[in-house]
Amino acid sequence: MRKNILAAGAVLVVAGLAFTGCSADTGGGDTGTKVLTVGMPNGPQQENQNPLATGSASLSLGYAFAVYESLMQVNEIDPTEAPTPWLAESVEWNADSTQAVITAREGVKWSDGEDFTADDIAFSIQLRKDNPELNIDFPDQYGDITVDGNQVTVNFTTGQYVNQVKLYKLLIVPEHIWADEDAVTFANTEMIGTGPFTLKTFTPQAVTLEPNEDYWGEEPKVAELRYDAFNDNAGLTTALTSGEAQWGWTFIPDYEQTFIAQDPEHYAQVAGGGFGVDVLYLNNETKPFDNVAFRQALNMVVDRGDISQTAGYGVWPEITSVTGLPQPSGDAFISEAYQGEELSVDVDGAKQVLADAGYTYDGDKLIDPDGEPVTFTLTNPSGWTDYLDALGIIAEGAASLGAEATVEPIVQDTWFNDTIPFGNFQASLHWTDGGSTPWNMYSNIMDGASYVPLGETANWNFGRYRNDEVTQALATYKAAASDEERQAALDVVQERFVEDVPGIVIWSRPAVAQYSTANYTGFPTAEDPYANPQPTGPQAALILSKLTPTE
Amino acid sequence: MKFFLRRLAFYAITFWAAVTINFFIPRIMPGDPVRALIAKNQGRISTDAEAALRVLFGLDAETSLWQQYLDYWALLLRGELGISFTYFPTPVLEVIQQALPWTVGLVGIATIISFTIGTLIGTAVGWRRGTWADSLLPISTFFSSVPYFWLALVAISIFSVTLGWFPASGSYDRSLVPAWSWEFVGSVIYYGTLPAITIVISSIAGWILGMRNMMVTVSSEDYVTVAQAKGLSERTVMLGYAARNSVLPQVSSFALSLGFIVGGTLVMEIVFSYQGIGYFLFTAVAAKDYPLMQGIFLVITLAVLLANIAADIVYGVLDPRTRQEG
Repeated sequence: MRKNILAAGAVLVVAGLAFTGCSADTGGGDTGTKVLTVGMPNGPQQENQNPLATGSASLSLGYAFAVYESLMQVNEIDPTEAPTPWLAESVEWNADSTQAVITAREGVKWSDGEDFTADDIAFSIQLRKDNPELNIDFPDQYGDITVDGNQVTVNFTTGQYVNQVKLYKLLIVPEHIWADEDAVTFANTEMIGTGPFTLKTFTPQAVTLEPNEDYWGEEPKVAELRYDAFNDNAGLTTALTSGEAQWGWTFIPDYEQTFIAQDPEHYAQVAGGGFGVDVLYLNNETKPFDNVAFRQALNMVVDRGDISQTAGYGVWPEITSVTGLPQPSGDAFISEAYQGEELSVDVDGAKQVLADAGYTYDGDKLIDPDGEPVTFTLTNPSGWTDYLDALGIIAEGAASLGAEATVEPIVQDTWFNDTIPFGNFQASLHWTDGGSTPWNMYSNIMDGASYVPLGETANWNFGRYRNDEVTQALATYKAAASDEERQAALDVVQERFVEDVPGIVIWSRPAVAQYSTANYTGFPTAEDPYANPQPTGPQAALILSKLTPTE
Repeated sequence: MKFFLRRLAFYAITFWAAVTINFFIPRIMPGDPVRALIAKNQGRISTDAEAALRVLFGLDAETSLWQQYLDYWALLLRGELGISFTYFPTPVLEVIQQALPWTVGLVGIATIISFTIGTLIGTAVGWRRGTWADSLLPISTFFSSVPYFWLALVAISIFSVTLGWFPASGSYDRSLVPAWSWEFVGSVIYYGTLPAITIVISSIAGWILGMRNMMVTVSSEDYVTVAQAKGLSERTVMLGYAARNSVLPQVSSFALSLGFIVGGTLVMEIVFSYQGIGYFLFTAVAAKDYPLMQGIFLVITLAVLLANIAADIVYGVLDPRTRQEG
């Protein structure tokens, strides 16, 4: 979503780079002292280091994740891989995922010298339970939280199989500091954490961190870490391409030319997996998409390769599996029946599907079984150029069937408040929640539990797909106690997804990051994707521990 | 005295109207802060978080618009502006205090430079009308009609990226911590130079044109001819007689442009990643951050009103005719 008139300008700046044919020197004397600079496009910050409250500078720029650590490290690119113990030695779940037993790591110290204990874990989780403002992961779902020796037992009021990762990613704060503060408004200027770095200085446009000398893990080799705030994507893109910032994530159109070509030896862009996708929601309750044959036919003529290359500038990977699952994250979850089945453009096949369902032609025009020409509108907020470009390609696909599709950009706020929730659209692109299993993606698209009639506010399932079998299977997946049960439920969901086409997945949207190995190396690579490559997440502590200086 | 009292009453009413409009307009806009935040994160904040965010921003309780309006006045009268959503829990006042000096400093200086140079050039061009000097007009107008962001990006592309003379972004060297040291002040000046130059180049045409046209009119006045007939030096006639009379409208538009400095620099701040009030206003509008939006609108309103008052007073002093009762 890039609603920015300046985007065109960014290309210009980068064109300037290309003309010089070399990468500019890193500014400000960074090279000698080997500062690792992380860039973020979120603008100047206010001094608020609270790692729990959404919107604080430390979360916005991401340095909270270098100072505070999570219970476990999860590799989002391979969700089946067992999580790596971090502040917790282990987390054991009961069969229906309503209780987690967390064992605290021994020998960890807070950066002020106090010992880290299981009480800190229990306290940090209790904070979320007691303050609904901070409880963004498990609203109203915490039960009792108890401590026994170095073990913390956390109860949940509902099964959390699909949310286990959210518990692993909770940041832990010290009880001896936070107990006397109002956790919601505490500005936390000192930042006492367990992480590999401690806060050195804060200024609105840059925050510097220095290594934590008493770090429990391997001593970090990055001499100094700096988080720079840029005002928008164009500013960050310029900083990354000139080497001024060496780690960050932003959407860079045509990144191979604009970014990597500036210094192919050091610059890289990697994708971090996950289950996030963008979906063309089809309104299953109004014409023309109330007819499953037309949904299937449209699905067969959408050129996803073109969408990914043209509209997504090659940044967002193409979806190839008919199940809509992004790969490689989704590899382990694809049903036996659909293994290796790939999407392809098949206009003749689509026409056959339509003919079988009673569609006819008047000249070039597709006529539905009721005798009316097939027309529809594709809607998205104006300025979301990647979405609108994708819609244009979808409209071309529809035209190849003889259906008349028009792309209609509308005002963003109208789209958010009227179009999407009330179902006032025929087809519209929207993202899905990432999640750590395919559950979120399918549930967001087709879960009957989210079904509300047209005209009422929907949270998900904007296309109003309803199938009790699917609703049941999604509920089973969440509550099941064994992998076999879960896969069986998922098989049902995938079959309906493929056959009924409740929505059309156009591309996957993995966590993408750019970095430069000019000063430090050891980031996740395409060959060794050991973690989500973005600096703004608990994985930052893991990545920072793997970085080594390059000479 | 009656003149000034009447003006004062007028400004008090304007202030009340402005505050009221500032309060209602953001709330008439469709959308709400929580959805804006979730939208901005596109799937990275799960929808489960919505309830938590509503409580955090204090949007969970149902308060009538009228009650909110009264609360807002109560806050204002206590000299508070509320707490920003985007930068929760930072008070709006702090956000503005941090951002305003940068904008006023950079754009204020740039405006003064632009006004001074533009007026001087306008004087000279107007005095020598019909000569080669007139060719300055289309050149400067060209730069002011080029969209500012384009001009600024071209400047970054040439002077920062290709030549490396100036930094491409930021308001000071990011490795420095603000302090009253030569190093820091020097860095602020160095980082501000390119943005300031682009502002001057893009805004100077208006000053040149305004001054030049007044000069042309005034030059044909009798008193200028008389001054020349007295045998005064060309320079004295140009500056002491023609320019002095031509500059009045310039002064009033200068006062007004000082008022607009506060709000009108959004594009510069975005292109140069310069910290300032325009960027915060932009963020606030995008995030539906009502308190911050209102706070910044209020500052802009106050600045424009104060500039108007200043212009009124200056005019009242300079030109007795404005004080005369109808």
